[in-house]
Amino acid sequence: MGILQLENLKKNYGGTYVLKGINLTIDEPQIIGYIGPNGAGKSTTIKILTGIIEEFEGKVTVLGMDIRKNAIEIKRRIGYIPENAALYEVLTPLEYLSFTGRLYGLEEDVIKKKSWELLRLFELADKADMRMNGFSKGMRQKVLLISGLMHNPEIIFLDEPLSGLDANAVILVKEILAQLKLSGKTLFYSSHIMDVVEKISDRIIIISNGEVIADGTFESLRSTGDKGSLENIFTALTGDEQHQTTAEAFIDVLKS
Amino acid sequence: MENWLLKLVHLFDFFFKKQGIDLPRMYTIVQTKLVMDKRRVFLNWRQGAQSENSNHLRIVLAMYVFISLFISVAIYSEFPFLFSMMLFHAYVIFMMAMVLITDFSSVVLDTTDNQIILPKPVDGKTLFMARQVHILLYLLLFTTAMTFIPLISIGIKFGLLTALVSLVTVFLCVLLAVFATYYFYLLALRFSSEKRVKDIITWFQIVLTVFFAIGYQLILRFIDLDDISGSFELSWYSWLLPPVWMSYTVEAVHLLNFDSIHLLMILLAFCVPVLLYWVLTKYLSPRFATTLSSLNTEHNAKPPSSSIPGRSGWAEKLSPFFTREPIGKAGFENTWKITSRDKSFKLHFYPSLAYIFVFIFIFVFNAGKDVEASWNILSTTNKFLWFIYLPMFTVANGILFVTFNENFAASWIYHSTPLKKPGQIILGSWLALLIKYFFPVYFLMFLISVYIWGWQVADDFVFGLANDYLCYLILGYLNKQYLPFSRQPSSRQQAGRFLLALMQMVIVGVMVLLHLLVIKQPSLFYIVLAAILIICWLLEKYIANLSWNKISV
Repeated sequence: MGILQLENLKKNYGGTYVLKGINLTIDEPQIIGYIGPNGAGKSTTIKILTGIIEEFEGKVTVLGMDIRKNAIEIKRRIGYIPENAALYEVLTPLEYLSFTGRLYGLEEDVIKKKSWELLRLFELADKADMRMNGFSKGMRQKVLLISGLMHNPEIIFLDEPLSGLDANAVILVKEILAQLKLSGKTLFYSSHIMDVVEKISDRIIIISNGEVIADGTFESLRSTGDKGSLENIFTALTGDEQHQTTAEAFIDVLKS
Repeated sequence: MENWLLKLVHLFDFFFKKQGIDLPRMYTIVQTKLVMDKRRVFLNWRQGAQSENSNHLRIVLAMYVFISLFISVAIYSEFPFLFSMMLFHAYVIFMMAMVLITDFSSVVLDTTDNQIILPKPVDGKTLFMARQVHILLYLLLFTTAMTFIPLISIGIKFGLLTALVSLVTVFLCVLLAVFATYYFYLLALRFSSEKRVKDIITWFQIVLTVFFAIGYQLILRFIDLDDISGSFELSWYSWLLPPVWMSYTVEAVHLLNFDSIHLLMILLAFCVPVLLYWVLTKYLSPRFATTLSSLNTEHNAKPPSSSIPGRSGWAEKLSPFFTREPIGKAGFENTWKITSRDKSFKLHFYPSLAYIFVFIFIFVFNAGKDVEASWNILSTTNKFLWFIYLPMFTVANGILFVTFNENFAASWIYHSTPLKKPGQIILGSWLALLIKYFFPVYFLMFLISVYIWGWQVADDFVFGLANDYLCYLILGYLNKQYLPFSRQPSSRQQAGRFLLALMQMVIVGVMVLLHLLVIKQPSLFYIVLAAILIICWLLEKYIANLSWNKISV
């Protein structure tokens, strides 16, 4: 049974195609690094795979089920951690986790136990009863991570999960992701932070202008040319090699 | 409160089960939304009264109960039956539409759900029903707060049957208000983006705040109670007014009068809301949901027109005339632009501008009493002084309001840049407020005064302008000096408002006395004017040279 399968996935907004036919198959649990420039279609892909966007062209199968026909069952078995810390800020972390836990159908005592334990591990236990509108971005991101993982999903979609986290939390989250992979989960990881993607991903998919332009392990991508780091590969593939020229021009303007 | 509301919803479980609704998830969503309502800051009421941990919803509901007491008094008074009923129904429709368009906009237009609930295993039917139940509970709460006491009053004064019919017409009024609101949103969404819709709603809120600020001052003065006669004449436009349909419906039952006019009114009262609601649920609501779900996507974003490179606005055009130093220019332009875009500033400041016209109505035109007599002798009085000094009395509030901003943390920029004299920023900011808000109003006052008193008031307006500016600078000087948009808007910090109001009264009063002295001794005109201008110049210098240790943080 395939974990994820995308066949000729297209999406248009007002006649403009932001996804122009993505084909992708994931058969075994692994960490997928999904990277691309701004506006490449990363978030749109994730929103389709998580059932947020229902209208698209092509076929999407998640955990062997067609997302158009089995969205609810799929949502029960996946987790999603969005980029921009979208949560109900007037609630406390405990209230918010209780809310999302119930929507995932978890038992009350399980929600309570897991919420406390996970908040404690993220050093948020002393703020469990405080409203989140005074929280920093990193603190909110931690609550989002817990809410997306608490029901122990089989596939986890992460859209910039390290955004706003402090250095210790970044290390902790990276370790959690590695452990999740070891426990047989699939992680679909979208990020701009290349070195993290390079280190944790089993497979890297680069999209640009709504199309997959590279797909493979870091080693296989590197073997296509002498490009060194993922950042260099990304720059070469997305056609943004003029960074040095731009930077030089920038300095010239500053000096003028 | 949410517990008994949820118990009420439980009465309809059989219906939800029949519809195939996932009950546990629906209740989870509704319960959470009710908790959030309790904590939401309501826009129709001053935010200062709503502290972090207070139950905002309960406070707002209590305010609506308080307002409903006035309607109850009207019902109890000797007004004719139809007049009382029209007042009551007009109040219900207006207040409900206002609640829906202003405060409930954050619920109806909330796209956070798309990110939070849509990825969870909740089917569309359950989510839709949860939203509907939430909206209905919200309407129920507000309708109860607005109409409970007036309905009891109707029951006591006109009998149980009349009260029961009024309950039905209240329900019909709520339907009309819901329809009006949805239609308002749909029109707004049809012609613009989500951001634009939010701008339109902001303006609507500002207009309403102004309306409430001045409305209660004016309306009671306009109504001549002796004029309300026992009979009500139906005009052609009466047939277009929902409160008239509703009032005739209640009257038909109250008087047991079912003549052709009453029957037609009953027909309109029932058929129009039902028809409109049917159109709403059948055609408009699904389109509304679709439009809403397509919003908030990065691909819909269009650059605002003001971001067109190279285009300079009023701020850039005017700043060179009023400020010399680049830092002063920065303060001027920044204040000009932010005050145009900051909703909170507009909500607080614009109503105080509207007060200028209220005070003129009260003090110059004798609050609407014997207007003709007041008008006939006006040109022989010195009442043009109100036109000269009232604008300053209100515009000076801006000095305080401009220091607050939701994004107060962004004021780090002042501290991180090599600013030697932050006073220049403050002076630039004050000048922007003066030019933007005071000058246009002052010019308008000048034109009105010339019309009433003739060109001989021109001298007084020149003298008044200098006097007003001195007054403005003194008020700014006597207050603690804060950098613009650098303070957190909270009730505690806005406590300085009362003190400012007191100082304003005293200082403006002294300026008016000075002006009266010049009127009595015209020979002093140029000497006093020169003295005022010199003091203004010195004060300007002092403020522009303020150093960091004089600035409050």
